[in-house]
Amino acid sequence: MRKEIAKFIINSRPYELLVEPNITLVELLREQLDLTGTKCACGVGECGSCTILVDGKPTLSCSTLALAIRGKDILTIEGLAQGTTLHPIQQAFIDCGAIQCGFCTPGMILMAKALLDENPNPTREEVKEGLGGNLCRCTGYVKIIDAVLAAAETMRKGAS
Amino acid sequence: MRVLKPFEYFEPGTVAQAVRLLLSYGDKAKVLAGGVDLIPRMRQRKVTPEYVVNIQRIAGLDYIRGNGSKGLRFGALTTLHSLELSPRIQKDYTVLYEAVHHIASVQVKTMGTAVGNLCVATPASDVATALIALGAEVKIVSVTGERTIPIENFFVGVGQTILEPGQIVTEVLLPDLPARTGGAFLKLVRTAADIAKVNVAVNLRVTSNKCEDVKIVLGSVAPTVFRAIKAEKVLGGQKPDPEVIKAAAEAAATQAKPITDLRSTAEYRRETTEVLVRRALERALEGAKA
Repeated sequence: MRKEIAKFIINSRPYELLVEPNITLVELLREQLDLTGTKCACGVGECGSCTILVDGKPTLSCSTLALAIRGKDILTIEGLAQGTTLHPIQQAFIDCGAIQCGFCTPGMILMAKALLDENPNPTREEVKEGLGGNLCRCTGYVKIIDAVLAAAETMRKGAS
Repeated sequence: MRVLKPFEYFEPGTVAQAVRLLLSYGDKAKVLAGGVDLIPRMRQRKVTPEYVVNIQRIAGLDYIRGNGSKGLRFGALTTLHSLELSPRIQKDYTVLYEAVHHIASVQVKTMGTAVGNLCVATPASDVATALIALGAEVKIVSVTGERTIPIENFFVGVGQTILEPGQIVTEVLLPDLPARTGGAFLKLVRTAADIAKVNVAVNLRVTSNKCEDVKIVLGSVAPTVFRAIKAEKVLGGQKPDPEVIKAAAEAAATQAKPITDLRSTAEYRRETTEVLVRRALERALEGAKA
């Protein structure tokens, strides 16, 4: 198995890294780049906690080979805030009490971003469907859904 | 979390290169498309390929396009999410839309391809049940050429298709459906993200108050997804009245050969097959009248 040089754009920063083919994206982020905001729980694509955005699309980083996304634009939770200003979704999670242990939060927030980018004005039902692949063992989801709807409103106001 | 076992990795730029690689490495190679099935199974050591052939970089395999008067075609890299968002599939291929809409999670649908799902050959495939009900075909390409076969002839057993080393599926072809066609997809699951306990897809046409072109397809109740031909014959050419529908549903249940596993008992699966077939037929008939 040979290592390959691979270029990535992660949170708008270019990287050139030596990567082994059997390394998945979550391992690259957490272990090679110390971007530990992305969490890995089940490792088999069922819990959603490793969700990141690849070219804006919600992607399970535990089920993605790092080499397979060479050259693509990767957004992790570390790249979401602008300096010290939180993204409206992050702020809404805090304001609505949608965070408890926090383990599912990065995946939830990035999945919510993908959802709101595609559908800026979702119904409660659409938020539930959109977040259906992200498990949370603390909150019971109600506050998370509240937060996504609140963020949607803030983002619509900001866009107008 | 276990790291994947080492393997040699390829990113062919064309279908011709991909099939050559797959032919030379045979059973030791696996095709990577969306990755949502392959990578988790590699992590769990259920499969340990020595060679992984990633086809994601092959241009021209991600599309949904009209096929003139012959229906619709989509490619090997077309994701489940693209199919779900396609206005043409939402409008004309109800059974496929309903099947895809209820699959797992947005992430899985965004990454996963319909062709990948077919090639995994799970007996619980929602995609396969819907596509067989529509009479869809797959195009298979090898180093020596290509051929097109109905998807109902594609599966051999649990996890097994007729594909041989060096062959890949490049396209799915959906026929144009005549007017007054209706379809429905129904399944029973434990949780939304789990695979089905029983899944049923039906498609039919009503002309002069008679059922024609009846397809009743069952998933999760045999080693492969299959057509319940006996049940189709009960309904074919008949007026769609409640007794005939009930008889067809009963016939479908007798054709089910389910197993007992952690999701359900065989008895429960057989019983609910009848219920789901009846409900799916009722909904398809409503669609055909509309």
